[in-house]
Amino acid sequence: MTGYDTAAPIQDTYQSAHAEFNAKPAYWIRYFNPSPAADLFENDAVGESRGAWDSGGNFVGCISAPHQSRLGGSAAEGHADAQAFCAALLAAYRAVRPLELPANGQLYCFLDQEYSTSLSLAYWNAWAGYIAEYNFAGLGSYPLYPCLYCDPYSPYPNCTTVAKSKGLDAPAAIWSSEPEPCGTVSKPPKWRADVCGTVPTRLWQFGEQDACNLSANVDLDLSAPNFSMAAHAFWVKSRP
Amino acid sequence: MRSRTRGKSRSPFRAADNGSGPGRRQVLAGGIGTGALLALPDLGLGSHPASKSTTPPSGASARYTFVYGTPDAGSVTTGSLAAASTPAASSPATSTPAARTRSHAATVAPAAITLSSRGSVPVAVNLAATPVSSPDQAITAVATVAMERDGAKVTLVLLDAASAKVAKQGSVLLKGVPSGAHVLVTPVFTPDSSTVSLVLAISTPVTKRVVSKVHGHTGKPLPRVTTSWVSHHALAYFDQRTGSMAGPFYLSDEPSLALSTAAANGSELLLWTTREPQPDDSASLRANASLSRLSIFPLGSGKARLSVAAPAPWPAGEPVVTLPSGDIARLVRGSHVQVCAVRTGDVSEHGISAFSRARARPSAVTMQARPDGTVFMTKPGSGVALVADPSEEFSAKAQVQFFPPATPLGAPWSKAVLSAEGDTLYVLGPAHGGGLHAYEVSSGKLTASYSEGSHYNGLHQMPGGTLLAVKPDNPRLAFFAPDLSPLGTADTNLFVSAIF
Repeated sequence: MTGYDTAAPIQDTYQSAHAEFNAKPAYWIRYFNPSPAADLFENDAVGESRGAWDSGGNFVGCISAPHQSRLGGSAAEGHADAQAFCAALLAAYRAVRPLELPANGQLYCFLDQEYSTSLSLAYWNAWAGYIAEYNFAGLGSYPLYPCLYCDPYSPYPNCTTVAKSKGLDAPAAIWSSEPEPCGTVSKPPKWRADVCGTVPTRLWQFGEQDACNLSANVDLDLSAPNFSMAAHAFWVKSRP
Repeated sequence: MRSRTRGKSRSPFRAADNGSGPGRRQVLAGGIGTGALLALPDLGLGSHPASKSTTPPSGASARYTFVYGTPDAGSVTTGSLAAASTPAASSPATSTPAARTRSHAATVAPAAITLSSRGSVPVAVNLAATPVSSPDQAITAVATVAMERDGAKVTLVLLDAASAKVAKQGSVLLKGVPSGAHVLVTPVFTPDSSTVSLVLAISTPVTKRVVSKVHGHTGKPLPRVTTSWVSHHALAYFDQRTGSMAGPFYLSDEPSLALSTAAANGSELLLWTTREPQPDDSASLRANASLSRLSIFPLGSGKARLSVAAPAPWPAGEPVVTLPSGDIARLVRGSHVQVCAVRTGDVSEHGISAFSRARARPSAVTMQARPDGTVFMTKPGSGVALVADPSEEFSAKAQVQFFPPATPLGAPWSKAVLSAEGDTLYVLGPAHGGGLHAYEVSSGKLTASYSEGSHYNGLHQMPGGTLLAVKPDNPRLAFFAPDLSPLGTADTNLFVSAIF
């Protein structure tokens, strides 16, 4: 199952992606607050959801990319970033009537840790704990699951950090940024994502726009065998 | 595109207590937090024969640079660093042909200077938040939080860059804050550094309940004690002249998101906050959920002179500068500047055309005020840096295109720096070659490059002109003259997140 991630609005992006790959993605992954350098999904959730619907990939996964110096910081910083992420998810959910939670009750929420960024255990535990314990929309179902986007073989602390987290504070999934063999949505490479030792890698960014010379503003992602990323994303049930 | 080598760091050096800065006993330790801070002296560029325009600004050469990061796992809790105060002019680096070229990268062996441990000093550990430098870089503010019996004690320490010693410090007690609370501290300097405002986000656990939640890996339900939280803000003000702290002033903004953005001019503090959406919000509240709130406080006061709705996006660590007019500029979405008129709170938005090209990935963005009233802005993921004039709707006065580096979003966010004179732009080398590049700002032409294959992740120019680049494996710190001649390297046990 392949999809796109992008820092640009879906409605501004999907047509060029269609033109380049002549295929529909199974899902999108979009940035939510706090991501101070990106266009944010929740700032035009209706337009973005329409774009996702029109693209044929009517599932939207969630990632947050805070200022990267914060990820090596304190529990207070991790708590604050997770709180803002959950609030942004709720704002988007409230703004789009046909935007629904996954049927399995597990919405994966990724923290963006870049190659040269350190992740401290204090930050991660506070971030992940807040996500895991967030009573989303007062539903009492606690559907948010903390997950980590990272380059597992980076020399900076990432896998070693989350390996120390326990229970529901451990990432539900790793989204690996390496390697980058490139490919297309309809012809992805065979699954060989880099992995962390203790947490399953369930998503692989096998092609980045710059590294793969893509003209569309998308990176290419592949779900692990027997895993559905779309089933762990917001579902745009109908065109808003 | 990226190095995949998993390197092992060398054993960290213990910094010598040589009297040049605070010794081990004086290392600041906050009760909560993980960050550490080191002070690093400039390398005395005046002795480097290959340097051009190496005369440091008066007094600047004596300044320390502060390196902030996370210590290696298993190492001592304080970061440590080895650095030299002055590399010898006859060192291998200086006898090597300079790596200067006009249009192509040279391949020069890395400098083999062995730096002593003299001159580097650990300064602080267990910091509550990333430090903040004053506009003139002369002072760095460090905040620590300690939970005490009757509340949370927040201590602001101002480090003098000339001595790496504590210049001033003050504390404020947040009474009644329980031990399980989170306190996020954001220091904000006035342009003349006379007042440091503290924005304090206090997040308190309010209810706990046991729920059953399916484990993401096993699919089995697990019992979990969940906590709900509520956040609000408080302000405090530290007067450098008197050494006194005013506050805390508690704001009635509960429930609020802890994340905020703040900036100060000479008389007022501007604070962006966001109301935390609630499950039972009315339709009108939901319709306005994208808005944040801008409040303007006279310095020293907890009562806002003005409080108005502010346009999206929510405050989230975006770059912010105080303009010569006293108005405040936020660089939002990595592509637009919102200018807040401090008199009325009105916000105008200006697109930065050089930043307008959408990309799949976000890029780090930076914005810094310059002494001449212009601002220096970078977006390394798009390979662009510019000097813009706020008085002309942020039109570009000069713009340089460069090859994007391999890590345009990762820490540290500083990937490109402008020389003090404003004539040279230094950037990390491209994804395919690494190293460093220098461009003439007036022409946009590449004037010098250096590469021996290393990919650096962050770049800083020290007050005396020395360039400091950081990379993943030891020696993590590499020093270069303004002509990109390598000066030397140093180990540190910190994974560097930021440099001040």
